[in-house]
Amino acid sequence: MIATIINFFAGIFIARIMSRYPGKLKNLIEGIFMLPMVLPPTVVGLILLLVFSKNSPIGKLLSMLGTTLVFSWPATVIAAVFVSFPLMYITTQGAFEQIDTNIEDAARTLGLNEWKIFWVITMPLAWPGVAAGTVLAFARSLGEFGATLMFAGNIPGRTETIPVAIYFAVQAGDKVKAAFLITITLIITFISVLVLAYWKRKKPKILSLLNYAYSKNKKEFFRV
Amino acid sequence: MLTVKIKKNFSEFNIDLEFIVDDEILVILGSSGSGKTMTLRCIAGLICPDEGYIELNGKTLFDSKKNINLSPQKRKMGFLFQNYALFPHMTVNENVALGIQQKTRLEADKKVAWLLEKMNIPGLGHRYPSQLSSGQQQRVALARALSNEPDVLLFDEPFSALDTPRKEKLELELLSLRNFYRGDILFVTHDLAQGYKLGSRIAIFESGRIIQCDNKYKVIESPVNYTSAKLTGVKNLMKGQIESKSDGKIKVKINDLGSEFIVLVKKNINYYTNQVVTIGIRPEFLQFVDNNKAENTFLCKVIKIIEGVADLSYILEPINENVNYKGKFYLEANLSKFSDLNIIEGNSYFINLPPSQLIVIT
Repeated sequence: MIATIINFFAGIFIARIMSRYPGKLKNLIEGIFMLPMVLPPTVVGLILLLVFSKNSPIGKLLSMLGTTLVFSWPATVIAAVFVSFPLMYITTQGAFEQIDTNIEDAARTLGLNEWKIFWVITMPLAWPGVAAGTVLAFARSLGEFGATLMFAGNIPGRTETIPVAIYFAVQAGDKVKAAFLITITLIITFISVLVLAYWKRKKPKILSLLNYAYSKNKKEFFRV
Repeated sequence: MLTVKIKKNFSEFNIDLEFIVDDEILVILGSSGSGKTMTLRCIAGLICPDEGYIELNGKTLFDSKKNINLSPQKRKMGFLFQNYALFPHMTVNENVALGIQQKTRLEADKKVAWLLEKMNIPGLGHRYPSQLSSGQQQRVALARALSNEPDVLLFDEPFSALDTPRKEKLELELLSLRNFYRGDILFVTHDLAQGYKLGSRIAIFESGRIIQCDNKYKVIESPVNYTSAKLTGVKNLMKGQIESKSDGKIKVKINDLGSEFIVLVKKNINYYTNQVVTIGIRPEFLQFVDNNKAENTFLCKVIKIIEGVADLSYILEPINENVNYKGKFYLEANLSKFSDLNIIEGNSYFINLPPSQLIVIT
């Protein structure tokens, strides 16, 4: 869940920058972003493990601060973020690129500042793509298994995610626990996909709420 | 008053131009892909020119030397896009209201209603752009462009996607826009008829440069070069050489018509003998005559008649024993359908080029 929220903002932010980034390095950067989707999740987990391990520079820095990431619950979040980010990124970026630049330019000549253009013009128009990316990323992080197991391990009550717990329950022959967890997964997934689908369709309403909230702070943000 | 002097390099062409719009409609006439849109985008601040300056009513908007480059938000320019670029997720009212600076909602609402009234689309305020016809969409776009009281309106071929009646209606309304909008208008088009109707002055544009910028009568009367002549509808252009000149007249040998043909021109401005020139004449000035007694008359075969709504176009091939034209050289004449001439395809007639209607391009 936290992974989804992080991805939601990070995905929008980076996709926005990338969709207007004309440089030659674009393909290379996009390639790096897409890597976690192409690589087997266990490899992603291993890379994360190496990067954040106690002997790596980042790991040393963290242990100097008195914490460690490996085999802790934030590790499950990080693993989920890395694995599901490409899905969020690619759909969102596609949605931004689809928008006719003339529309944003028209808003510019009307005197709207860039921030306002983003919230009033760009986001509403890219909304279906953003929502779809969120659904995909959420589904992917919910089902995340390989990278989590490698990077966060399986410590009951701390780093045990549902897919990992199901795997170990089946391994131990505890079919009742597995069935129970599977039911929970099914319910969570089904409800969230329903909510997100609804959310996607109801964009005008959600966004008018957004506009309303905005107009409370800045007087006369949006009229009519 | 808008003063523009900018340079910008693109891969396909280089923009390098200078012009002034002084309380008028200036039409930029050029073929597609000649950099007209890019020029407008430079002026609006959507792209940054390499060097030069842009000044509006004494205020500097861009100056490469002083490092001034105002954002499009601060330039107060209305931009009309070829594809309208309305905000598809907003109603007409919201589209128009977005740029309004008025303080209270009531004032803003009033202004939106007033603008829609002026654009002849009252009552459409609650529709979405996709529910409107293309003509109505363009009216909304115009209302939106006017909403933040711009000092300049930039039109980027705004009517090119409309059908003829709608286009003509909007052209008429654009002219009456001057009744309540006091500002400069820069209108980009590839359509001479439209440009002539709307503009007071016409700038002929070719691959990033303005090759002629003058009063529209002057531009039509005396195009400065080949491109300018082509763009302003001088369809018959012939290469020649000046043989002799006398008081108010020059004699030009037209190579395309064979050695015997000599054309007289009445406008005499510093031409010299043996100078290579191009002679042009509009198709509507060619005349069918009974005999070849008058000067500039020669025999032509009508090889094709093209029928328009109100006129007839004749494709003519000169008849000359010494030259075999076979598909190489044609003249085009254009006559009203309602003249009592009976011209038949395949027959030959004497054609006269009235000396006073000939244009000399050096």
